[in-house]
Amino acid sequence: MKSKISAFMDGELHPGESPEPFAALREHGEARDAWRTYHLISDAMRDTRLLSGGFSARVAAKLAEEPTVIAPSLAGQRPRPSVWALAAAASLAVVFVGGIAYVMQQGTDAPPEVAAVQPPQTPAKEVAQVAPPDTANDYLLAHQGYSPRITLQGMAPYVRMVSGEARAGKR
Amino acid sequence: MIRALGVLLIVWGGLAQAQAQMATTPEAMALLRRIYEATEKLSYTGTFVYQQGERNETSRITRANGAGGGVERLEVLDGMPREIVRTRDTVRCYLPESQTVKVERRSDRRAFPALLPERITDLARSYTISRGEPVRIAGYDCESVVLTPVDDLRYGYVLWADANTGMLLKARTVNRKGETIEQFTFTQLAIGQVSRDKVRTRHAARNWRVEDAAVTPANLAQSGWTASADLPGFRKVIEVTRKLGESRPVGQMVYSDGIAAVSVFIEPIAGRAEAVRPGLSSLGAFHIYTREVANHIVTVVGEAPAASVQRIANTVEFRQPQ
Repeated sequence: MKSKISAFMDGELHPGESPEPFAALREHGEARDAWRTYHLISDAMRDTRLLSGGFSARVAAKLAEEPTVIAPSLAGQRPRPSVWALAAAASLAVVFVGGIAYVMQQGTDAPPEVAAVQPPQTPAKEVAQVAPPDTANDYLLAHQGYSPRITLQGMAPYVRMVSGEARAGKR
Repeated sequence: MIRALGVLLIVWGGLAQAQAQMATTPEAMALLRRIYEATEKLSYTGTFVYQQGERNETSRITRANGAGGGVERLEVLDGMPREIVRTRDTVRCYLPESQTVKVERRSDRRAFPALLPERITDLARSYTISRGEPVRIAGYDCESVVLTPVDDLRYGYVLWADANTGMLLKARTVNRKGETIEQFTFTQLAIGQVSRDKVRTRHAARNWRVEDAAVTPANLAQSGWTASADLPGFRKVIEVTRKLGESRPVGQMVYSDGIAAVSVFIEPIAGRAEAVRPGLSSLGAFHIYTREVANHIVTVVGEAPAASVQRIANTVEFRQPQ
């Protein structure tokens, strides 16, 4: 088993071909110890910088905090509508254009079809909105000098600082 | 489904039509060029209002052209008093409340953002440059040029310039929805002959603390830091080491598409008194995105949509130099 784990680490095994090491890693303390030891050896050989204590626990905690993706991408999830479905939808739509109320009702029954042609919604990445850094004006001042806006409108853009700047006065 | 397709077709048709109306024209390019030249050559003194969100701030600006380049003086009249004087190779920012003067010298003249016709050609790759409606501003008959971004990675701009001299009287930044996110407007302006006295600081600044930015051209990749302008149209215009505030040494890289600019600042966490708040903050047309990379704080400051600022920030990497 240890040789298989070693091979897996080196990227020579694939999950589909050889499920044993995966099962072993899931279940056996010994296999996991081997996994950790091999990684330690490999890190030592490659002179990789050591991670701080509790790194994996912190990563696991961060992952647990990640928001669940509610709207996963469309790929592989929904089969493409068949030609028949397209044709059916097209005929429905043609009658709809004719303005028959019955078909309008049919139309309201078919929202999943409409949803299917919408592009997959990329879930917006959660970004913390924070107050600007206390030294925001230092950054802005340092930035302005290299902004091509200066060549377009002279020094006017230098007024762009965090307003109500009492902080700069205190420092 | 077909209905949705129909709507798409109509929207698409509308866009195509809008694009046909808004092509880059030589007249618009010529006006933009005149504005750049006027900014570099004219002498003037005037008052302008800066608007951003709820904020309205009046400032006085004076420029005296002369041998050895022009000297410009900007005095902010509302809120925290500050005055900035710029000569060809030095920028001094006077902060009377803290009795501080921040100095930035440019030993390397190449460090100045290029202001050349190539720049306008560059711009035409990222924006459609067209003429807008003429209007009258502060007593001047103005012509207008509109920079419409070709994608969502940057804002749009509308500029109004005096038809006679090319002097820029009003500049507006607009987002994708066409909403104004910031605006500079002259309310009073006199063009021509300004004496050198008018561009001298009114602060003696004796015994003031001097914070010299000590800007030095640098190659940050040598110390392991890289970023990439993953954004179409943006390229690196400068890379320096400098000091921020009193003594914080930082690396700075600036990316620009010819008008919008994004600065990447990299500084060690060690020795920082201020608490670090990773995340995004928005200041009108500016976004500041802070993240931590390899025991350093990466602060990306840009006059661009939040997504663009974040994208550049997320390319910042540290690799132990060999």
